[in-house]
Amino acid sequence: MKRIALLAVLMFAAVASGNAQTGRDIAERVKNRPDGNTRYAEMQLTLVKKNGDKRDRKMVSWAMDEGKDTKKIMFFTYPGDVKGTGFLTWDYDQTGKEDDKWLYLPAMKKTRRISGSSSKTDFFMGTDFTYDDMGGRGVDEDKHKLLREEMRDGHKCWVLESVPVDAREIYSRKLSWIRQDCDVTVYVEFYDKLDKLHRVMSVSELQQVGGYWTVMKMEMKNVQSGHSTQITVTGPKYDIPVDKSLFTVAKLEKGL
Amino acid sequence: MKRTVKTLLVSVTAVYCTAVTLPAQDGLDVSVKGFVDTYHAVRTEAPGDWMSSRTRARGELRVEKDGGGIFLSANLVYNALLKDLSGLQLREAYAYWGNPHWDIRAGRQIISWGVADGLRVTDLISPMDYTEFLAQDYDDIRIPVGALRVRYLHGSWSLEAVAVPVAEFFKLPTDPANPWSVGTLPPEVRPDPKLGNMEYGLRFCAFLGGVDFSLMALRSWSKMPELLGDHLGYHRLTVLGGDLSIPFGSFVFRGEIADNIDDRGAHQGNALAGLDWYPGADWNLSVQYNRTFGAGEHSSLATLRISKALLNNALTLSTFAYVDVRDKGVFNRLSADWAATDQLHVLLGYDYFYAKGGMFARYAHNSEIWLKLKYNF
Repeated sequence: MKRIALLAVLMFAAVASGNAQTGRDIAERVKNRPDGNTRYAEMQLTLVKKNGDKRDRKMVSWAMDEGKDTKKIMFFTYPGDVKGTGFLTWDYDQTGKEDDKWLYLPAMKKTRRISGSSSKTDFFMGTDFTYDDMGGRGVDEDKHKLLREEMRDGHKCWVLESVPVDAREIYSRKLSWIRQDCDVTVYVEFYDKLDKLHRVMSVSELQQVGGYWTVMKMEMKNVQSGHSTQITVTGPKYDIPVDKSLFTVAKLEKGL
Repeated sequence: MKRTVKTLLVSVTAVYCTAVTLPAQDGLDVSVKGFVDTYHAVRTEAPGDWMSSRTRARGELRVEKDGGGIFLSANLVYNALLKDLSGLQLREAYAYWGNPHWDIRAGRQIISWGVADGLRVTDLISPMDYTEFLAQDYDDIRIPVGALRVRYLHGSWSLEAVAVPVAEFFKLPTDPANPWSVGTLPPEVRPDPKLGNMEYGLRFCAFLGGVDFSLMALRSWSKMPELLGDHLGYHRLTVLGGDLSIPFGSFVFRGEIADNIDDRGAHQGNALAGLDWYPGADWNLSVQYNRTFGAGEHSSLATLRISKALLNNALTLSTFAYVDVRDKGVFNRLSADWAATDQLHVLLGYDYFYAKGGMFARYAHNSEIWLKLKYNF
């Protein structure tokens, strides 16, 4: 009888610990989802105005993990006026440590050191995605709370509320729907300072590439302005051999 | 001549229409890019004459294989005011080769050193084309030089050696038809093109977490012509200097310093401090202060740049001002750049001059409004 009681207690404890997964735990799962030590992708960003007019940006990017830090380099390939423009970023995992960032402008033939902190909340090249949205945001830059679990497009999801620690962020809170089978955020609602819905991000195509879950198509729509941005990823590759020298200013200046 | 121009126009049109990056064949990558722009400026005070009226096609060709390649850049220009400046102008033409540790570039090229914006402290190799003073895009003002550049690359630092067999010098406008003319000048005597007069230099650069810096040494020439007796000439110069960039929060501090030593041993210092501010919301602000000290005539200049992108970066408003602190003069370029399509930009601007003396005095009545259309391919 004692054994049965002990087993019951242990089972309850196991269930309780499963349910006790915190919002931060889930945010960390998303952040730490396996994505290879090196990555390559080509991206097309389509900016769509409320009236349907479109503008395109195309770029290629490489990334390499060094411990918990990540180095990235990207070059614009379209349109012509920004072709050859390159960004080099050394993203640090440590909270409070500023990222290192450089911008190369081919017309000026010069590399400029740019601020590693302020641009995180700026919109990336006129799109509706901020630099943070593109993947650079640290887990502890928000306070996370697991609100509920619910089905979305046939998949069981966690619904997470994240409130920025820094009050200067451009959103007051965001709600994220995270698929439990792959730890991928598939839908996000961003609320502005007046707690009105501002932007909505939705993933429309998710694939496994080389064993890693990869978002192939997503859209960010500013519901207040009607402007939206679609991102289409082509040719993603993981765990490719990449020389460390790729993530240097010398390579940034040399270009593709 | 007509046939040559026609052939060139056909070539440019072909390039314009194809606007391609050709697929690699046997490892050979060929890419073509460029633009067509037309720029027209009119003086905003009497006599309200045209200050500039030019159209050009820029073509850039890169052919690359196995880490080596060639790069060609040329302008085909029609200048309605200064007919002598119409025609085909080779801009850059160089061959290069590199691996992760070395790269070599030989030929006509723009060499850019330092971290200053629009001011020269250590960025002394490629001189300036003052045909329209500073009222041009900065990349149009730089004059390419025939040079050999070798770099050794090692992680976050690099060592660069440059040799320029025949130095290039500032280009000053003397054509009376040019509203930016500095007038008739005495004859210019350039250094003899011999081995002993070549330019050469070394630069060590480091790009580290939280700081970038470089140290440089350059055996060069004063690039701005000076009156030496009855002619304009140049004197030998040895320059030792360095630069620094440090980001902190939403700011980046930039600094440059150089000691210019002439062959009589006289030293002139040149120092610049700048601060860039990235407050967010697509605002950029930048200030610089530059001062020379020691031997020779002193200058004291400041710059202010403010830019703001709007409408999802479809519209960029910017202003860039040079302030002659010593002589109380200002040149301010205010512009609005609207991306009408992915390829087509429409730019409208106003260049404002104010000066009672100093470097801007000659152009105190050259304030102008300008329009530029630029089609990138």
